[in-house]
Amino acid sequence: MSKNNYIRTNGRAADELRKVSIKAGIIKNADGSAIIEFGKNKIIAAVFGPKEVHPKHMMRNDQAIIKCRYHMMPFSTDTRKNPSLSRREIEISKVIREAIQPAIIMEDYPRTAIEVYIEILQSDGGSRCAAINAASVALADAGINMRDLITACAAGKADGKIILDVDDVEDKTGEADMPLSILPNLGTITLFQLDGCLSEEEFKQALEMATNGCKKLYELQRNALMNKYFNNNKNKGV
Amino acid sequence: MPAVKKIRIIDSMRRTDIENSLKQSKRLDGRAILDYREISIETNVLQKTSGSASVKIGDSEVLAGIKVELGRPFPDTPDKGIIICNAELLPICSAFIEPGPPSEDAIELSRVSDRGIRESGMIDLPQLVIREGEDVFAVFIDIAVINEDGNLFDACSYAIAAALHGATMPTFKIENDKVVILEKVKPLPILSLPISTTFVKIGDKILLDPNAEEQTMCEARLTLVTDDKGNFVSAQKGKAGGFSFKEFNEMIEISKKKGEEIRKKIIKNDK
Amino acid sequence: MSTIERKYVIPGDTIIEGDYRPLINAIKRNNRVISTRIGMAEIVRKDVRVIPLNGTYYPRLDDTVIGIVADSNAFVWEVDINSVFFGILQGSAVLGRTFSASRDSLASHFKTGDCLIAKIASFDRTRDPLLSIYGPGLGKVSNGEICKISMAQVPRLIGKKGSMIKLIEENTKCKLNIGQNGVIFINGAKESIVKIKKVINIIEKQAYLPDLNDKVNDLLK
Repeated sequence: MSKNNYIRTNGRAADELRKVSIKAGIIKNADGSAIIEFGKNKIIAAVFGPKEVHPKHMMRNDQAIIKCRYHMMPFSTDTRKNPSLSRREIEISKVIREAIQPAIIMEDYPRTAIEVYIEILQSDGGSRCAAINAASVALADAGINMRDLITACAAGKADGKIILDVDDVEDKTGEADMPLSILPNLGTITLFQLDGCLSEEEFKQALEMATNGCKKLYELQRNALMNKYFNNNKNKGV
Repeated sequence: MPAVKKIRIIDSMRRTDIENSLKQSKRLDGRAILDYREISIETNVLQKTSGSASVKIGDSEVLAGIKVELGRPFPDTPDKGIIICNAELLPICSAFIEPGPPSEDAIELSRVSDRGIRESGMIDLPQLVIREGEDVFAVFIDIAVINEDGNLFDACSYAIAAALHGATMPTFKIENDKVVILEKVKPLPILSLPISTTFVKIGDKILLDPNAEEQTMCEARLTLVTDDKGNFVSAQKGKAGGFSFKEFNEMIEISKKKGEEIRKKIIKNDK
Repeated sequence: MSTIERKYVIPGDTIIEGDYRPLINAIKRNNRVISTRIGMAEIVRKDVRVIPLNGTYYPRLDDTVIGIVADSNAFVWEVDINSVFFGILQGSAVLGRTFSASRDSLASHFKTGDCLIAKIASFDRTRDPLLSIYGPGLGKVSNGEICKISMAQVPRLIGKKGSMIKLIEENTKCKLNIGQNGVIFINGAKESIVKIKKVINIIEKQAYLPDLNDKVNDLLK
């Protein structure tokens, strides 16, 4: 079977994303927010700030600090999850923070904290990538100075084939999962993880596929913001 | 010196406006003193649960998810299933909530929600037993507060009621002395639908369904939970002020009446 | 005027390529001028600026702000100025030189919840903004209502040379004080205030439309 007409167990083509919808500005009390539905993933990201730093000793006089919390609701998984943060959630909080930080112009906000809270209401594999996409829209919605949006997508290998956007089943049965996040206009990789085994050629192929996925997601992020702020009058001159 | 905005501050002009308006028994958002804000209930919003509901009261929004899983009974109640109820004030819901271990308010919210379900005998616990003293079903009720604008007690109560009302539980068989969970599900045995109503006192007026501002400036708060038969199953008084006995009797009457209205709404919503 | 070119942008969008200068809310990367905010990009000759549609107020020296007293201790009031930082109003700046922390109680002067119109007297990157209430039109206000608008929309609420604020004031017979921090103090009849709040809501939601003044005019009539 050639690469082009390979159909996966979930019915998608090798380079096909799950159904994605993003909406900006859904939480009234937050400075910026977004909800993303990415396949069965249902994730809310909310941004507060820039605001005063607490505790004070974490404050930096030359730039902002970012606090990021990735948290899964107990009912988000197949078997109930303990509500307190697991080691996995702490690691993901860290990598997400490091993935979004390069986009934020930190020097513009000395002595402040920018808080990014991510709540997973329903998870379905690839939640960290979906979370980054939502967080990025929420940051722009909060009016924080950014060099670029951050967009994320995973590629992987299942059933011997390189595939885009690995879901829960493919993650568990497949050979590799490779989440990637980039700044699409600047062309910078800000998050990269690999869990599995790939040959050099597969590695490059997966990287290219994930990058293409990111580009599709960038359009969706862009539409979400355009919808909220300009009623989708795309690039129309005044 | 407070480093973060820990409490909501209402400016004195707004406060005077609210008080003056209440003298004419009106609220600034146009409601009468015993009116609820618009309540919207949506059920089965989460796929990985046995039952779920999203409830909005005005701008307050909560999400409840039910999971029914295998567990071991508590030693003192070997013939009953388990209920675990946990409400979380997520840091996304308000600028005044910080992540970290649950605050006093979050724990109060959790426990008041829990009491309403437990004491009303809402779930028929003996029916959750698989093998007495060994295996039972545990019902996990988890609530996420998405946006906070006052009266979370009621929002959580309705979310729980709506989620449990349409919830299912797995069926099982026993094979080689082991419990095997089957794919087929049956409705969760629900005996009653406890409904909470929350009042606050500002000046000499009793208000139903306080928003965030009213809840911040009130002197006293009372949550009353009634069941289908008109029994009172749980209550919680909050804040540093107090109520008179006369006010208390008024609230008891209103609570039963309003509780019935909202119960009908939840049942109707599910059909 | 024909040299002005405008377009809607989000962070990361390339506004223009070539020999242009990023002025406000824009940065330059490899010959491209990139927007850092959601807003309207304006190119005037060689200068590029983005007028943002959202954002938090960041204090600037000499700005007039409207704030609510949040707390007081023996020496200062902390004022919520709808910003990243609390505004600090020193007791000595209000009570004069004879102020003594042991004798005077600040809480008896301004209470939590009081509304102040103040100026940012000093602010730099090493400390919180200091406020002053000395000056014409500054000080405590009462009898009115407070409402908020995104600070990015403040210039639109004021309008070109104050045209919008004049339009609103003349049509409603109200007095508006607009803080740079997005807090507005309105003094006037209750019905007019309700009307003004509607106008403010329209400005906030549709600030990107070119015929905003006409729309507001219709609404007020």
